[in-house]
Amino acid sequence: MLLINCPYCGERDQSEFTNGGEAHVARPKDPDQVNDREWSEYVFVRANPKGIYYERWVHTHGCKKWFNAIRDTSTDEILKIYKIGETPPLIKRFKNTLRSPSGEPDVGSGNFTVKKP
Amino acid sequence: MSEHKIYFKFDGKTYGGNEGDTIAAALLRNNVKLVGRSFKYHRPRGIYTCGIEEPNALVQIINEHNEPNVRATVKKIYEGMVVKSQNRWPSLKRDLGSINNILSPIFSAGFYYKTFMGPKGFWKNVYEPLIRRTAGLGKPPREFRSKSIHLHHNVDIVIVGGGFSGLLAAKKLAGTNYDVLLIEREDSLGGILKNTKKIELINDQNPSDWIEKTERLIQNSRNIKVLKNTLMTTYNFSDHLIAVEDKSVGKPQDNEKPELVLHKIRTKQTILANGHIERFISFRNNDLPGVMLAASFEKYIQKYGVVPEESPVIFTNNSSTFSLVKSLVDLGHKPKAYVDVRDQKKIEKETVELLNKYNIPLYAKSEIEGCEGKNEISKVSIRVKKNEIIKIKTSMLCVSGGFNPDIHLFTQSKGLLKWDETILAFKPEKTFQNTITLGSVSGNFSYEKLIGEINKKLDFFEGINDLEIKLNINGPKKFQIKELWETNHAKKSLWSKSFIDLQNDVTTKDLKQAVLEGFNRIEHLKRFTTNSMGTDQGKISSINALGIVSKILKKSVSEVGTTIYRPPYAPLSFSAIAGRSTYEFYDPERKTPVHPWHVKHNAVFEDVGQWKRPWYFKKHNNESMEQAVQRESKQVRESAGILDGSTLGKIEIKGKDALAFVNLIYTNSFTKMKPMTARYALMLGEDGMVKDDGIVCKINDQHFLTTTTTGGAANVLAHMEEYAQTEWPNMNVYMNSITEQFSTFNISGPKARTIMSRVFNNIDFSNESFPFMTFNNFDYLNTKVRILRASFTGEPGYEIYVSPKHALTLWERIFYYSKDLDLVPYGTETMHLLRAEKGYIIVGQDTDGTVTPIDLNLNWMIGKKKKDFIGKRSLTRSDIVRSDRKQLVGLVPLNKAYGIEEGQHVIEEKNLNTPIKKPVKMLGHVTSSYFSPTLNHSVAMALIKGGNRKIGSQLYVSTSDLNVIPVEVVKPNFIDPKNERLIS
Repeated sequence: MLLINCPYCGERDQSEFTNGGEAHVARPKDPDQVNDREWSEYVFVRANPKGIYYERWVHTHGCKKWFNAIRDTSTDEILKIYKIGETPPLIKRFKNTLRSPSGEPDVGSGNFTVKKP
Repeated sequence: MSEHKIYFKFDGKTYGGNEGDTIAAALLRNNVKLVGRSFKYHRPRGIYTCGIEEPNALVQIINEHNEPNVRATVKKIYEGMVVKSQNRWPSLKRDLGSINNILSPIFSAGFYYKTFMGPKGFWKNVYEPLIRRTAGLGKPPREFRSKSIHLHHNVDIVIVGGGFSGLLAAKKLAGTNYDVLLIEREDSLGGILKNTKKIELINDQNPSDWIEKTERLIQNSRNIKVLKNTLMTTYNFSDHLIAVEDKSVGKPQDNEKPELVLHKIRTKQTILANGHIERFISFRNNDLPGVMLAASFEKYIQKYGVVPEESPVIFTNNSSTFSLVKSLVDLGHKPKAYVDVRDQKKIEKETVELLNKYNIPLYAKSEIEGCEGKNEISKVSIRVKKNEIIKIKTSMLCVSGGFNPDIHLFTQSKGLLKWDETILAFKPEKTFQNTITLGSVSGNFSYEKLIGEINKKLDFFEGINDLEIKLNINGPKKFQIKELWETNHAKKSLWSKSFIDLQNDVTTKDLKQAVLEGFNRIEHLKRFTTNSMGTDQGKISSINALGIVSKILKKSVSEVGTTIYRPPYAPLSFSAIAGRSTYEFYDPERKTPVHPWHVKHNAVFEDVGQWKRPWYFKKHNNESMEQAVQRESKQVRESAGILDGSTLGKIEIKGKDALAFVNLIYTNSFTKMKPMTARYALMLGEDGMVKDDGIVCKINDQHFLTTTTTGGAANVLAHMEEYAQTEWPNMNVYMNSITEQFSTFNISGPKARTIMSRVFNNIDFSNESFPFMTFNNFDYLNTKVRILRASFTGEPGYEIYVSPKHALTLWERIFYYSKDLDLVPYGTETMHLLRAEKGYIIVGQDTDGTVTPIDLNLNWMIGKKKKDFIGKRSLTRSDIVRSDRKQLVGLVPLNKAYGIEEGQHVIEEKNLNTPIKKPVKMLGHVTSSYFSPTLNHSVAMALIKGGNRKIGSQLYVSTSDLNVIPVEVVKPNFIDPKNERLIS
């Protein structure tokens, strides 16, 4: 279970939070001006990278506040937490480790427990 | 150990044991070797180990609510305990199921998949009940009880294991500024020091004295907390560990105190010092009672003072068994034979000298071919040369096939392993979290190197000193081993089996067969054969399986790889996980202030979310639900009915931008709406699908009240918060749930106005001064009420909002004033019927997250002039404007006597030929259906493809007995389509 540092309440167990998917997916300012494809991308399409990822969390069983986080999905390490409205730190700032538990390849998943000789 | 005897029952017979004995130790003390029958073949099984890794000796504790699959090697006895063996009938010694052993050719690997294929219906009616009766473990407990609590810890360091390494680590950390938790799964610290004769002296002291002194030092250090009888079961991400503590060790059940404590631990560093597990060797009949792992045998002697057998045969492939011989000869006993697969030259000189000194026959370069016996071993066969076998009579055989570092927790932490050729085992290679491994778990089997290892690995902690420990070690100093996973069978018979997984009855033959059938990846092989999938997770055998498979595949073990060990480390009682969240604490029950009145008036309740809502009210005990609902709904239409709507979600929205916000959240337009009026409103998701509905009341442009569905209240508030915080953070708007601050009653029916005028005699309820969809606040007695004229029955209706404190009184007064007006209290089922008659949708019943307002013909609710609201843009997407989408229509059976079933398919076919040979085209399904007492026939709503164009046509609805009912498609509004009654 992750330990999440709510910017308003401090460190709490993950079970108090709800993940809100990818962060900084801007809602089109004037929805009527975008075509079906662009709108569908806003509504349905989200990135799901292996590596460093902007995402949203809400402290559901706490202050109910939304905030943003940068998490390395390959290690589950939360690299940065910042409030809504704050300028998102550049991903480049963080070392993109792609370090994964089992030393598996960068793309795809693996179930290896033994270090490859 | 006191001499006080403790008496307990095993399979009806009373035995005596010593305090501190496990069931297994006490049974061995009484020379009981047969303790269970195996899972599949019902073969006799005995005690194989002396700890948590036990695959065989699982028993049922009858006096603890039938607790099944308890390890006899872990559970301690107490006075009056009643224990039963498992998976046998009629008795342990004569078990009819053992016929399976003779039928075993059909029970080979994958036999469930291959054998029980047909004919149709046989699985459910014949095979499954039969298999369930004969295969399996214990019987389920009779009742669920949970007496466990959860405890949270935040510490700097967790040490897992209070054995030699764990104690040394704790000694080093004692007195420092670190907060340390030491977890030990047994009832005492010391581990290997107590269980074996491997170490003679520590700093010239007896090991037990040294343990006592060290424990005192730790206890006095104040920064280290020791938890005994606590099993570390889980090593999660983010240095989060879970351990379960057994508080009832050696004690009968206590109904007042928690039995189990689940420790949830956050730490900064984890020191794994959880040791190793001995593994076995496969040979013919290696499952017979009397076969035991060598280190376990020694543990019974050293820890429990039980000598299971004074002259066993010892079979080994490594140097560790010296210590067992020493333990036996020190007590004046003499092993019958010492069988070592290694060359005489390779066997450690200490062992050879000891064997010679006591005249114990040594069979070097020999192996156990197999053993004989009915319910326990009587003879073992030793292959001394290639074709020469000699037989020795014995009742016990101690086996050591080497040791595996106990890497379960390490792999749970996502650390990487590496195969070590010198110890022939996987050991930790690379940590993923803040993990340190010490001692045998790190693959270090040398006591001499241990001190150096600990000093080095713990060096970075602040304020610690180097340990200086002098050890006097018994026997060989270096661990040496020769690879041996299985010996060759010389004898072939149905009875002769060489097992690889004792708990799941997997034989080495099954492994070979699985590879032959193409399951040559270790994860596939595991699932096909069920190898290491028992409750013991193959702790003593899974690496052996890898060894055997690597030989078949002619690959190295490293290439074959290992399967993943998943948490928990050992079976974890559900009661430990449940903690206090059981029965009424599992999920809170919410009750309205009128609840006692409902109970008094025979309400039958329905759970809606956490709420208890009256489903219907029984007029008399014999009234069925159907009768009650027909009566209630007829009475509402004829006179009046009252519904306790206090459970409806209520949200207050305030702020300078409240109007703009509400306009964005709901589809309707609220700009031109007059203050103190209300509107039925729809909420969509960004995908354009209906999310919730409710009534929005406008007090003024800065202040709104909205209602939500009972189940949707929390989600709707969360949805509003999400948009307010993330999309429009600059809006000045605040939301607050006021669901519990107001009780709500809904009175409707032709006599509703009369009732209201009587209860609130100072208010003018005429249509002119109190029109439909308006509301106002009034003083009422010593409180205030808000009355809204709204209805979801199609009859004139009023909704009263009142403080919960006054709710019950008001409810009773309403009944007091309408004694002669035939007012009926009704529940949710009648509410659904009344709504269906009017074609009013219920979100979640008539919609399912794929339905737009257009599909529901609720276009009038969409504020077309609004520039934006959530979901607006989606309503013009090409898929949403398709005319053949599923649309909501009404259905009326042509034959008025027929009823329509909810959930049935709407089709075009006149009849269904049974059996159905080709696919039937489905147009959609029935979402709601009720028998209307007012119309005297069934009315239904359905979502069907292109429904709007089908109005007036005839379709068919399937029935559960594969008939069809002809129905007419109509507009979904069955009563008063012009709403004359509603606004009268």
